[in-house]
Amino acid sequence: MRKPMTSRLALWLTALLLGGTALTLSGCDEGGDPKAQVGANPALPALTQYLLPPMNVARVVGWKQGETPTVAPGLKIEALATGLQHPRSLYTLPNGDVLVVESKAPPAPPPKRPKDIVMGFVESWATSGGSTGPSNRITLLHDANGDGVPETKSVYIDHLNSPFGVALVGNDLYVANTDAIVKYPYRPGETEMKAQGTTLTELPGGPIDHHWTKSLVASKDGSLLYVGVGSNSNITENGMEAEKNRADILEVDRETGRWRIFASGLRNPNGLSFEPQSGALWTVVNERDEIGPDLVPDYMTSVKEGAFYGWPYSYYGQHVDPRVMPQRPDLVAKAIPPDYALSSHVAPLGMVFYTADALPQSYRGGAFVGEHGSWNRTPLNGYKVIYVPFSDGKPNGMAQDVVTGFLNGDNQARGRPVGLAVDKTGALLIADDVGNTVWRVTPAGS
Amino acid sequence: MQETALTPGDHLEPTVQIAHHPIHIMLVPIPITCFVGAFITDIAYWLTAEMMWANFSAWLLTVGLIFGVLAAIAGLIDFLSNRRIRSQSPAWPHMLGNIAVLVLAFFNVLIHTRDAWTSVVPVGLILSLITVLILPLTGWLGWSLVYRHGVGVAR
Repeated sequence: MRKPMTSRLALWLTALLLGGTALTLSGCDEGGDPKAQVGANPALPALTQYLLPPMNVARVVGWKQGETPTVAPGLKIEALATGLQHPRSLYTLPNGDVLVVESKAPPAPPPKRPKDIVMGFVESWATSGGSTGPSNRITLLHDANGDGVPETKSVYIDHLNSPFGVALVGNDLYVANTDAIVKYPYRPGETEMKAQGTTLTELPGGPIDHHWTKSLVASKDGSLLYVGVGSNSNITENGMEAEKNRADILEVDRETGRWRIFASGLRNPNGLSFEPQSGALWTVVNERDEIGPDLVPDYMTSVKEGAFYGWPYSYYGQHVDPRVMPQRPDLVAKAIPPDYALSSHVAPLGMVFYTADALPQSYRGGAFVGEHGSWNRTPLNGYKVIYVPFSDGKPNGMAQDVVTGFLNGDNQARGRPVGLAVDKTGALLIADDVGNTVWRVTPAGS
Repeated sequence: MQETALTPGDHLEPTVQIAHHPIHIMLVPIPITCFVGAFITDIAYWLTAEMMWANFSAWLLTVGLIFGVLAAIAGLIDFLSNRRIRSQSPAWPHMLGNIAVLVLAFFNVLIHTRDAWTSVVPVGLILSLITVLILPLTGWLGWSLVYRHGVGVAR
């Protein structure tokens, strides 16, 4: 009698544990076709909440000798520079020199709960692209004849603090570190900045600094700077106080450094650019995680002065997020939906409007977007550069894949696209922070 | 199963022990304290929406689960390797009740990995409450095993 009792117990226990595990893992449901979530009216499924935070990180393998991303027909791609240290954004100077901002995340704060330790460990797989050397600097590429082979490559500004955005107004060069906008005197032709920078204004930085990239763009007349400040959490789990002046685009007076909130509710705004036809400010935004593989679609949008775009209280207008407390029905009521969805978890971090005329006609007038790629969705999404056609200052038509192949056949990351720029010849430049390369896209046959 | 009368000298010595000090009984207060604490910090978060309390809950549940599993391993070895212990009447319900506590705590840890409000309200708070309601019952049975049946009592 005893023995069967014991073995029955063992069986019961095993069943319980296996059942529990199966139940837990069944939370990792698969996402649908991302195409249904591209455009002005994305399909928004009901939200789900998980037992296990979904994580699906593409392991980093890097580019083998001779490997390049794949480009759409009519285009050609080559490396402009390799061997960089986590290049994240690009800026073309008026004389054609290209600034490559090499940047690493600021040191992680002490974990607030056990989840932070586990997530930090898993996310470290995604960025283990061999970038262990010195980063947090700006490298200058000088390619006088525009043949895609720089004659010189030099460290232009070193020892920066997780820099991202760059903007030149006259001879004032502004660098957006994660905690401040710093001004440098620019002299065309110099390959190394000799002067020390002066701080124009501080920005919300550590000690948490969850979304740390500060995108930067100057207004057309040069009097104002716009800077994107990402949220300090996924969805307020670091407390409301940590979100002060975050998930905003700030408008900074270039003379005095005084700033105000230009628009709010933008969870992680990057790629700040002015749309050439309307002159409106546009941004790409990373939306919230952990409520489903198809929620919430990341997006690009024009940024209206004083507007509120929902984060953290709601998304795409009035879709309330139950994870935020206290709720704010007054703010939800005035939240405006963004202009153009890019599908969920693609992580857009770079955007550039194409106003040059080197690339084929079909790429003119619209915006290229660099999608860094998902880390919490099955199947993977993003990991490519797309083109969104525009007409009359608005997106018009389906986004097209332009540069792909950042993932290999086994869904391992050879590279991940981040910031974009257009060089003086009209070629599209792509910063690849995992492949440690700057790619240059030109017309085929050039 | 038959009731066994307690007579001194019976082999009610736990298998997992250090110098006749049973490990299971040494470990058990840790998960009990942690799970009761997590219930209190869950209530504090529910009342204040202050993330610090939810973070406390997450740590308490995680530590409670780790030490609860260690205590369970020690207890299960004692249970399975000594027929005399197994045959004491409170042994079975004590074990099954505490396995239920650990299963609840496991899911509660997962619920608490969610971000902000729904990491606690309502599911996390309910699981913490049920856990804390089971603990006095299984604790009572555990104490019976020691004080009334003499499990682990040195001779």
